[in-house]
Amino acid sequence: MLKFLNKVGEYAKETVQSAQYIGQGLSVTFDHMRRRPITVQYPYEKLIPSERFRGRIHFEFDKCISCEVCVRVCPINLPVVDWEFNKEIKKKQLKHYSIDFGVCIFCANCVEYCPTNCLSVTEEYELSTFDRHELNFDSVAMGRLPYKVTEDPMVTPLREFAYLPKGEISSHAVPHTTPRAGQHPQEIAAASAASED
Amino acid sequence: MTLADGVQLVSTLILAAMVIGAALGVVLFDNIVYSAFTLGGVFISIAGLYILMNADFVSAAQVLIYVGAVNVLILFAIMLVNKQEVYSPVPRRWIRKLSAALVSAGLFGLLTVMLLQTEWLPNAAQTAPDSTVILIGEHFFSDYLLPFELASILLLMALVGAVVIARRESIVGEDTAIVGEQPAPVLELPERPREPVA
Amino acid sequence: MNSGIDLQQKFIDTLSDLGLSAGVAKAIWIPLPMVLMIFGATVGVLVSVWLERKISAAAQQRIGPEYIGPLGILAPVADGIKLVFKEDVVPANADPWLFTLGPVIVVIPVFLSYLIVPFGQNLVITDLGIGIFLWIALSSIAPIGLLMAGYASNNKYSLLGGLRAAAQSISYEIPLALAVLAVVMMSNSLSTVDIVDQQSGYGILGWNVWRQPAGLLLFWIAALAECERMPFDLPEAEEELVAGYQTEYAGMKFALFYLGSYVNLVLSALLVAVLYFGGWDFPIPIELLASWIGVSPNNPVLEVVIAGLGIVMTLLKAYFFLFLAILLRWTVPRVRIDQLLDLGWKFLLPIGLVNLLLTAGLKLAFPVAFGG
Repeated sequence: MLKFLNKVGEYAKETVQSAQYIGQGLSVTFDHMRRRPITVQYPYEKLIPSERFRGRIHFEFDKCISCEVCVRVCPINLPVVDWEFNKEIKKKQLKHYSIDFGVCIFCANCVEYCPTNCLSVTEEYELSTFDRHELNFDSVAMGRLPYKVTEDPMVTPLREFAYLPKGEISSHAVPHTTPRAGQHPQEIAAASAASED
Repeated sequence: MTLADGVQLVSTLILAAMVIGAALGVVLFDNIVYSAFTLGGVFISIAGLYILMNADFVSAAQVLIYVGAVNVLILFAIMLVNKQEVYSPVPRRWIRKLSAALVSAGLFGLLTVMLLQTEWLPNAAQTAPDSTVILIGEHFFSDYLLPFELASILLLMALVGAVVIARRESIVGEDTAIVGEQPAPVLELPERPREPVA
Repeated sequence: MNSGIDLQQKFIDTLSDLGLSAGVAKAIWIPLPMVLMIFGATVGVLVSVWLERKISAAAQQRIGPEYIGPLGILAPVADGIKLVFKEDVVPANADPWLFTLGPVIVVIPVFLSYLIVPFGQNLVITDLGIGIFLWIALSSIAPIGLLMAGYASNNKYSLLGGLRAAAQSISYEIPLALAVLAVVMMSNSLSTVDIVDQQSGYGILGWNVWRQPAGLLLFWIAALAECERMPFDLPEAEEELVAGYQTEYAGMKFALFYLGSYVNLVLSALLVAVLYFGGWDFPIPIELLASWIGVSPNNPVLEVVIAGLGIVMTLLKAYFFLFLAILLRWTVPRVRIDQLLDLGWKFLLPIGLVNLLLTAGLKLAFPVAFGG
């Protein structure tokens, strides 16, 4: 009999405990309701891409020496380098350069290995088209610079969480020009330069 | 004839037609699932007839118990045991058919005689009672006490029986997994010995 | 006790003054509250769908519908219009008759149950003697429709979903009925109007919550399970059963299921308000308020105000529980089928029986407080 009562008591205790847990969960969900939405209302608001963002690749035609390193380091040999050997100046002359961004995985290996820095990553990520072949960018298309989010009057730029001022958790609450938490790389460099002097 | 009487007559006729039609459907459909669904139709139509007789509680109970429980369980049984079986023709099946027809006809005759002999509407002038629930309760605890209690005992027995059957834990898969040796008897599920409850 | 506004009598009187006989006037009156109720239930569904989307969004720090009407309030209307114009697909190997009948059988009893939801002393379609029992009886028809839909779809997910829905419905009907029975025992009547009347008079102190806290929990859990709401939505658990019995449905037939589930949820919330939170009763007794202001309780303006206040109170209480259901949806994870049946049969049922027994005992011991 005592054993049975013990069992009933334990069962009741467990029930109360689970009810408590559900109550705790409810309070968490309820607390979320008073928090500001973290959503970014694209296209009226856009996130400022971070410093190391790897977007669409920019190409400078005149710097390219047609060495094809970008093709060799590309996981899928994507860049198309069309060149011709110019016998007069004994150099390869670039005729066309193109990358199909419908296939590119944006690993930026080509940028990493380019000996003349003619390739660079931009912060452009809006690459939607009606036809996938439109994503096959030639050197002219790749030479264009994207709009900066911060300079577009139609768009409210928002910063990512890591770029917010100290103690701030919502990018809606502060303008994007306020300094972020911690020191900028330039400040660190300046400080170390000053201490070395 | 007032509007209310007319409505009552028309609904009685419609409900009666529904009962008969659905009942025929139960018997005549080849697909057993259709039969089960039309059985639900029969129950609901009968509930409608009860409403016309001012028996609202009985009607709701009819819906709750027959449609909500009995019919759903029948459907459950049909859908869980969804096995197509081809019945081999039984020799001299006409004997069974004949006896079934005889029993049915006899029952029909008995009910007809009962219908004709019963003195319906003992006092037609009686108005609808305020609360059928109270009336039913009074009858349950006075002149119908014995059937009421017997029914409760019957239900208790059924409940205990169901618990006993449900508590049985049969071992499936363990014995049958042994290859060779002696195979487990087909029609018997081996049971796990039960530990006494604390 | 002031009987409150009686629209029916006034309507019939007005028509009689215009020269119609009383019978004809009554016949004209009969369909009006029904149409009003169906309309009201549908609007209630639209509101609750909108609330569901907005509150879900808030709980997940999103915004939710925003541009379809102010605050996205027309989003459910847009959903409905889209569903109306969609093609009515019946799968080739489905059973066309049962496939069509299934959603109808699920929806009709739910709408029929609105017969007994009171918004005021006389603001109810019919004050049936069996009131709340009618709701329990009608809600037991729905599993037939679910089984029908599941079977007719000729799809294993549908069939499993239908079977689960029926099993769940049957299992949770019993604790639900037991919880209701305890309330009924205290008010000595099955009629919803009587149940509210028994709670009124003392304002918030007289409500059944204080006398039936366990019953309230029991009722709410069982009602959520009956509505197949989130912790108990296994019949349509998308991770395992695609969408359960709704898998093969599209267009208007799917809309019926969708409508039915939300109407059922609103109905359950309304009934919680009626059974445990004093229905149309104001937290402070209205007669007391009237005497403070110095208005006679038979003032016609006051009658209209009280009627309006009653409707608002009922809806407020109901929508509070709707809010709770939505919050629960994003808090509690889905239970497994064995956990579901365990909870129903091994936890809620014994608790319900004990609650019933305690209520009966307390009723005998303190007939003043427990409606002897």
